[in-house]
Amino acid sequence: MSNHVTEWLNAYYDGELKGKRLQQVEEHLTTCEACQAELESLQGLSALLQEVPVPEFPSPERFATQVNLLLPQKRTTTPGTHLFEVGWWMIPVGLLAVWVFISIAVLLGDAMSTAKNFGILDSTTASFISAPSDTADVTSTLGQFGMLQGNSLQWAETTENFTRGLFPQIVLQVSVALLYLTWFAIWWTRHTRQMSEPLLEG
Amino acid sequence: MVVVLEVSETEVIRSAQSGDRNAFSELVRIHARGVFNVVYRMCGDELIAEDAAQETFIRAWQNLSSYRPQMPLRNWLYRIAFNAGMDMLRKEKRILPNAIEDLNLTDGQPGLESQVSQQERTQLVQKAILSLPDASRAVLVLREYEDMSYQEISATLDIPVGTVMSRLNYARKLLKDKLEQKLSKVEAEYV
Repeated sequence: MSNHVTEWLNAYYDGELKGKRLQQVEEHLTTCEACQAELESLQGLSALLQEVPVPEFPSPERFATQVNLLLPQKRTTTPGTHLFEVGWWMIPVGLLAVWVFISIAVLLGDAMSTAKNFGILDSTTASFISAPSDTADVTSTLGQFGMLQGNSLQWAETTENFTRGLFPQIVLQVSVALLYLTWFAIWWTRHTRQMSEPLLEG
Repeated sequence: MVVVLEVSETEVIRSAQSGDRNAFSELVRIHARGVFNVVYRMCGDELIAEDAAQETFIRAWQNLSSYRPQMPLRNWLYRIAFNAGMDMLRKEKRILPNAIEDLNLTDGQPGLESQVSQQERTQLVQKAILSLPDASRAVLVLREYEDMSYQEISATLDIPVGTVMSRLNYARKLLKDKLEQKLSKVEAEYV
């Protein structure tokens, strides 16, 4: 039989195989002498490894006492550090709240502005809305004085509308995102430093 | 009447995490032997193993706040122990045997094999283990001596289960190659 199961023999020997793979290996082993021999050599190897003794360990009590004497003084948590920790974790919460507030304000502003344009809101409610002006004031003034004309006037109006309307929202949201990323980077650095050392390299 | 209060390890860990040195000493008492054994299997030197075991618990104390109970404490300590053991070996500039030539094997004369005493045989096996690459040796030690499942080894060494399998296959293959002569004799005894 040519389809040897050599690569799965270790896992089979360690009891790590399940389902179809286990069945496949078991069936193969009933007929393949080479794989049976390989399995026996694994058993022999384990038996040989178990022959290596471990030296007698000194009393765990004495060892624990020795370790206790060597332990460095642990940092105690003072009310100041506790307050710092609380404040530290409030930063992302605060940033999230700011982001949610900005998003809701923008959405509400847009909705009310649309409602005003469609005449859904009465004049009293509409007067409370300070929706951004749809007209580009500076550009129109310049247009009136003949300083801007044609395409340049249109382009200037679009730019002014964008700068007054959408741009501040983008700047605010990007600032919040950057602040959050900075906080996350600091948290990650602290966290990885606290973790135990890197493991054995492959 | 004696009342025995059983305190779970989780509670002892929690006390130790809040700075209770006696609670930590209790944890040291529980895990000292296991940590020592693992380090000894990794470095093969009793004194280094004892120093590394001490170092393991000192590091554990310093980093206890980062321990999360999702992983058994034993496995977390073993992870630190492997690193402490390897650091200690490097510090001591101890060179582990790398090749089969270092193992002082018998020169192939007939009959000489049978004269190798039990002690020499175990020394030979230990040298063969120590000649394995660190990463493969760590997996082998956890599997063969600590009887850990592949999943546990994966979590302890923070490597994928597939890597555990390949490193274990590699370690056993190397050992079988190195100990072929001994193996045939042991197979006859055990199998």
